[in-house]
Amino acid sequence: MRHAPLRRLLPAALALGLAGGLLAGCATLPPPDDKDALEEFRANNDPAEPFNRAMYDVHQAIDTAVLRPVAVAYRAVVPPPVRTGVSNVLSNLRSPVILMNDALQGETERFGITLGRFMINSTLGVGGIFDVASRFGLVPHTEDFGQTFAVAGVEEGPYLFIPILGPSNPRDLVGFAAGIAADPFNWLTFGNRDLLDALSYARAGVTVVSTRESLLDTLDDVQRTSLDPYATLRSAYRQQRAREIANTGSGAVPAAPQGLGTGLGNTTEGGQP
Amino acid sequence: MTERRPLLAAGAALLLARARPAAAQPVDTARAASFIQATGRELVAAINGGGGVTQRRDQVAAILRRAVDVEGVGRFILGRYWRVATPEEQAQYMRLFEETLIRNLSARFGEYQGVRFSLGRSQQRTEDDALVNTIVERPNLAPFSLDWRVGEVGGQPRVVDVIAEGTSLRLTTRSEYSAVISRNGGRVAALLDAMRNQVAQLAAREGR
Repeated sequence: MRHAPLRRLLPAALALGLAGGLLAGCATLPPPDDKDALEEFRANNDPAEPFNRAMYDVHQAIDTAVLRPVAVAYRAVVPPPVRTGVSNVLSNLRSPVILMNDALQGETERFGITLGRFMINSTLGVGGIFDVASRFGLVPHTEDFGQTFAVAGVEEGPYLFIPILGPSNPRDLVGFAAGIAADPFNWLTFGNRDLLDALSYARAGVTVVSTRESLLDTLDDVQRTSLDPYATLRSAYRQQRAREIANTGSGAVPAAPQGLGTGLGNTTEGGQP
Repeated sequence: MTERRPLLAAGAALLLARARPAAAQPVDTARAASFIQATGRELVAAINGGGGVTQRRDQVAAILRRAVDVEGVGRFILGRYWRVATPEEQAQYMRLFEETLIRNLSARFGEYQGVRFSLGRSQQRTEDDALVNTIVERPNLAPFSLDWRVGEVGGQPRVVDVIAEGTSLRLTTRSEYSAVISRNGGRVAALLDAMRNQVAQLAAREGR
C-alpha cells in the first residue's frame, strides 16, 4: 500500500500498450501506388489499429458488464444536485495540476483564473462542492501535461485505445501519468499513508463513475448512430484534443470537464453550481 | 513555448491570406450569421412548438432539408470513395445519406425541448466558408457550443458542417464511413448495406 492505485496501474497500462502495439503487429500499410489510401492511413494515425480494436473490444466488454450499469445506477439513485456537487469536488481536486500546466504553458490569464477558482471554490464553495467561482465569471477550463507537451512541440505519436481510460496516444498517456505523479493530493500524506491510499482509491473510483455518468447520453448516441463506433471515437478524440491544445474552446463549457481521456465533450451535464 | 502559438497563428493567417484570392465563392460572415440566426429561430420554434413528437420531428426535418447542403456534405463524407462508386451506388448513397442525416439530426434536435439558442461571440471566416458560433441552452443542463460552417451553394448560404464542442460532424462521419468501407475490402456496397440497416432500425424505433 505504498502508491496510489492509478499510479500503480499506469506503468502496467503503458507497458501493455507499447508491447501490445509491437506484438499484435501493425495494420497493413496500403500499397504504395494507392495515394488516397496512403493519405487516409496517415490521416487516421492508427498504425496499431488491429491491436487498438482488440483493446476497444475489451473495453466494451468491461463497459457493458460494469461501467455503464454502475453509471446508470448512479444516475438513477443519486439526485442531480448531488452528482453536480461530486463532479465539482473532483474538478476542484484537479485544480493544482491544471494550475501547473497553465504556468508551464505561460498562460498567465488562465493561471489566474484557475488559482482564483481553486481559492474561491475551496472556501466559499465548501471544499469545491459548489462552483461559486463560475458565478463570479471565472469559467473553468481543463489543462493537462499531454497538452503542455503538445504546446512544447511533442508529437502525439500513434493513436492508442486503452481499456477504461479510452482513446489516447503515447504523448497523452505519459501526460496522464505525469498528471497523477504531479498531483499534490496524491502525495500529501499528512502523516497517514493508509488514509491517503484509501482516499486515492475512492477518488479514482468516483472519478470513473462520475465521468461515465456524464458521458452516458453521448456514448449511447455514438453506439446507436455510428456504423463504426471505434472509428467515430478515434476521430472525435483527435479533434477534441486538437481543440483543447489550441485553447480555442467557446468557454460555454469545458471540453472534457471530468478529465479522463474520452475525447467527447460533456454536453449532457455540466458543472453548474 | 509561449511564443509558439502566436507564431503558428501568424503563419496560418499568412497562408489563409494567400489562399483567399483563389477561393471561389467567399461567404460574407454577417450574411452567414444572419442565415444561422434565422434557421436557428425556425428550429427553436419548431422544437418548442406544440404538437406531438412526430410532428415536431417532421418540422425540424423540413427546416434541415432546406438549410443543409446535403449533397455537398454527402460527397465530402464519402471522400475518395465517391470516385470509386458506380453512378448507381452514388445515387443510392445520396438517398441513404440524406435519410440518415435528417433522421439523426431531427431526432437529436427533437429532444431539445425548452431549448434556447443565441449567437456566440466568435464569428470567423475560413478559406471559403464562414464559421458561425452559437450557444445552445437547455433547461437544467450546461450550455454547449455549436458551430455551423456555412458555405455558399448556388448563391445561397447553406450549412456544410455542424461542429458540436469541437467535434465536426462531417469529419467524424467521414472517418466512420471510410472505416466501414476499408474494413470490407474497399466495397462501397458494404457501406450501403450498413446504412440501409441503420435507416431501418431508426425507422423502427421512431415508429414511422
